[in-house]
Amino acid sequence: MNALRKHIHPGWLIIAPLLVMVMALYLGPILNILWLSVTDPEPGFGNYAKLGESDALIRILWTTVRICIITTVFSVTLGYSIAYAMMHCHQRQKNYMLTLLLVSFWISILVRTFSWLMLLGRRGLVNVALEDIGLIAEPIAFMRNELGVLIGMIHYMIPYAVLPLLVSMQAIDQRVMDASRNLGASGSQTFLRIYLPLTTPGLVASTLLVFILSLGFYVTPAVLGGGKVLMVAEYISVQLLVTLQWGTAAMLAALMLFGVLAMLWIMSRFMKLSTVFGGAAR
Amino acid sequence: MQDKQFMKEMLTDSAQAYKQGRMDRRTFLALCGASGVALTAVMAGDAEAAADHVVMWNWGGQSEECHGSAIGDAFTASTGKGLRFDTSGPLEGKIKEMVESGNVTADVADADLFNAVSLGPTGHLEPIDYSVVSKDKTLPGYALEYGVSVILYGYAFVYDTEAYGDNPPQNWADFFDTAKFPGMRSLYKWANGSLEAALMADGVAGDALYPLDMDRALAKIKSIKDESLYWGSGSEAHSMCVNGEVSMGMVWQNRGRNIENDTDGRYKLVNNQALAMPGAYIVPKGNPAGAAAMQFIATAQEVPAQLALLDCLGMTPSNPAAFGQIPEDQQPYAITSAMNIDKIVYNDPTWWGENGGDAVNAFLDTIS
Amino acid sequence: MADLANTGSLQLRDVTKMFGTFRAVDSVNLDIQKGEFLTLLGPSGSGKTTLLMMIAGFLDITHGDIALDGASIADVPAEKRNFGMVFQGYALFPHMSVRDNVGYALSVRKKPAPEIKTRVDEMLELVQLQDFADRKPTQLSGGQQQRVALARALCFAPPVLLLDEPLGALDKKLRVEVQEQLKDIHRRIGTTFIYVTHDQEEALSMSDRIVIMRDGSIEQVGTPKELYERPATRFAASFLGKSNFITQGVKTFALRPEKIDLRVGQGGDDARTSGTIRSITYFGSMQRIIVDTAQGDEIEVDIDVWRNQEALSVGAAVDLLWQDAAAVELKET
Repeated sequence: MNALRKHIHPGWLIIAPLLVMVMALYLGPILNILWLSVTDPEPGFGNYAKLGESDALIRILWTTVRICIITTVFSVTLGYSIAYAMMHCHQRQKNYMLTLLLVSFWISILVRTFSWLMLLGRRGLVNVALEDIGLIAEPIAFMRNELGVLIGMIHYMIPYAVLPLLVSMQAIDQRVMDASRNLGASGSQTFLRIYLPLTTPGLVASTLLVFILSLGFYVTPAVLGGGKVLMVAEYISVQLLVTLQWGTAAMLAALMLFGVLAMLWIMSRFMKLSTVFGGAAR
Repeated sequence: MQDKQFMKEMLTDSAQAYKQGRMDRRTFLALCGASGVALTAVMAGDAEAAADHVVMWNWGGQSEECHGSAIGDAFTASTGKGLRFDTSGPLEGKIKEMVESGNVTADVADADLFNAVSLGPTGHLEPIDYSVVSKDKTLPGYALEYGVSVILYGYAFVYDTEAYGDNPPQNWADFFDTAKFPGMRSLYKWANGSLEAALMADGVAGDALYPLDMDRALAKIKSIKDESLYWGSGSEAHSMCVNGEVSMGMVWQNRGRNIENDTDGRYKLVNNQALAMPGAYIVPKGNPAGAAAMQFIATAQEVPAQLALLDCLGMTPSNPAAFGQIPEDQQPYAITSAMNIDKIVYNDPTWWGENGGDAVNAFLDTIS
Repeated sequence: MADLANTGSLQLRDVTKMFGTFRAVDSVNLDIQKGEFLTLLGPSGSGKTTLLMMIAGFLDITHGDIALDGASIADVPAEKRNFGMVFQGYALFPHMSVRDNVGYALSVRKKPAPEIKTRVDEMLELVQLQDFADRKPTQLSGGQQQRVALARALCFAPPVLLLDEPLGALDKKLRVEVQEQLKDIHRRIGTTFIYVTHDQEEALSMSDRIVIMRDGSIEQVGTPKELYERPATRFAASFLGKSNFITQGVKTFALRPEKIDLRVGQGGDDARTSGTIRSITYFGSMQRIIVDTAQGDEIEVDIDVWRNQEALSVGAAVDLLWQDAAAVELKET
């Protein structure tokens, strides 16, 4: 017992029940998914072999990755400018912006999705207005296609992109920027050589967050894509609920899990993940 | 799994017995203890359900109110048992999951008849007790071992009278002819109905649809893919028409009236070649209320319930005895009314039950 | 090193900074000589850092003018002023090596790599950090970081070096050591140093001239010795060193504690005043004695510890003596 005490900090005992619960609630289902993916409908790697056999699966995966990448690039870029603007405006305006940002978290994704239809649909406000002033003869197809999915997803993701960036920008010592200017660097030199590198952990965190969240998108592509933009999350749910191919669903879920883990692993080769996830930027 | 099932059944049986006073409390507690089930769980959940009500698993919204007034009231009057609802939507996968988890909390699921074909033989459903439920109070072929059609819905289409006012589209062939009828179309995203419509458009006779020629159907679907949107829910189909996104839209036929009203008659329902879909009540294996579920289904088959469902939900009766009693103003929107019954075709639940999964995936592959 | 022979003098004319209605710096006039080590000394809120930031170009001046060698630089942005600066907390670039930090100013000026390397090596040698070129700033001690900041600020041979409390983060022992190094470097390169501190000892030991600031204005300017020996105001006298204040009629005099002698017993002819000892505090190198005078004043006296060891005790009656020159008449109270 004493030997054990030496190696196990008593603090662990206090949080042990919680740990066990977390393990059971998180690891259990994950293991179950992995198990299903190699046992349903029959034991073996048949489900994974489908990846090589089915063009449809590959296309769905590719659609998902493509949309997630584009969404991530735009969300993080726009998020960066928003966070930057928030950091460099007056406290009052910053508070307004932060409030708007947080309010958008409370609006349900369904409401937001349908708002886009109202705004940019075939007979939405924008198209009707453009037609009325004679700029266009035919409505522009903003919605019910991949563009619509991207607009909806980017809009949804921007607040998620902003927050980690804001945190990393707030951590920057203004004097470091002053030092760069004092040493003769122009505004753009200071931005590229100092500001950007110092906000890189925030950029990485924001990119990871947006990309991973995007992978699981379901409602927005289903509605704004007009049924033609099929992403993995929706496909998984169809396999679970409609076609009962649980093995395929589990395989795809496992694939996404491995994909995300692989991404984190690759990241960790280039930078300390602890800095990305809010550890000290050292 | 089987053990769990058995234990559950034994417990619910004994809970019932306990409630009815056939078993004393001590024996009941001992049984609970022996099976390792917490008394409170049985008391609060299954036992209570077993004793005094049936849980209907439906899709929420209006159906909760309508199922209550159309079936529930009569059921309570005749059996003394109440009706409760689970409105989370009994998708096939959810039924399978519920039964396999051993925690069955619903008695009657408002599902499709093809679900009875795919889930029945795999042991996920209770067989229909045709000593209680009547085979004659539904259409021939729609009383299956594990499910019986209680209502009908259907796939028809609406069109924009402003776009095609002078020469309106008549059938699925017109629907798929985007040269003669230019404009956007909408189809159901999960293949059902869309495949049949495509085959009819391609010249297959309504009574010779099954087994579906998938390649032929998908080729037809693909031919108007650029002009097509696909909807996944009734409200989405509705909004695609009301928002003017499509000039012709496949819809659930019972939604036709709402679309006509909400567009002030600009969109008009076409029932010709509409595909009648058997909506079925099925019973998850090991349901808590046991045989009471069958009584509930039997109640739903009665003509008054059938007509009340049509009035409240727009779901068409499947009991032929009710067909002649459909009120005149509802006839255009009831798929088996006198004015429609000769124009429609019938879904084959057996084909869908056996091939549905692959068909959906092939369809998704084509449209995405 | 670049030719600094004819550059590095600064002229401040009526320099004023308003924050809203608050006058942070109020009409400062100051001529800073080329090569001078000038210290801006004052408590926090006295405007010394604001003044430095205006010289650096990070703050606009509300009115007045700042000129370098006679030519106004008021409208020249910070990055074009070519003033080196050592920031409070150093503000090193945490993602760059020591070498890249030091070479930054040359690198943004697009100097060729070999030239940068040579110059950086030279600077690292100046601050004795040759062996640390490839470390990151966080791998260095506070004193080393301070030297990197210095090397970085001096690397492009600025005519003026601004230092904003550069030793504030160091512990006391290290501070004395770094003061020596700073002075040494100043002597060797001949750049004008403008040094902001609130530490009077630092100011006294390093500066050629000290500017004492108070509430945004200059209180007094002079060499350390002038300021210490002849403080002009009560504020100057008490901020730089310790001082007793003696009022005679309408005049007030400052009297440094170490310039007072103390004799046990009372009533000597030469006594300026007399009183009783209230407390004795032992400091090792000297002892501080507080005397309550007959007039009701309290006077501090610093005397050597070896004197009058036995006779000095709390409650003892003493005479206080000092030379005429020791009491400095103040302009105002």
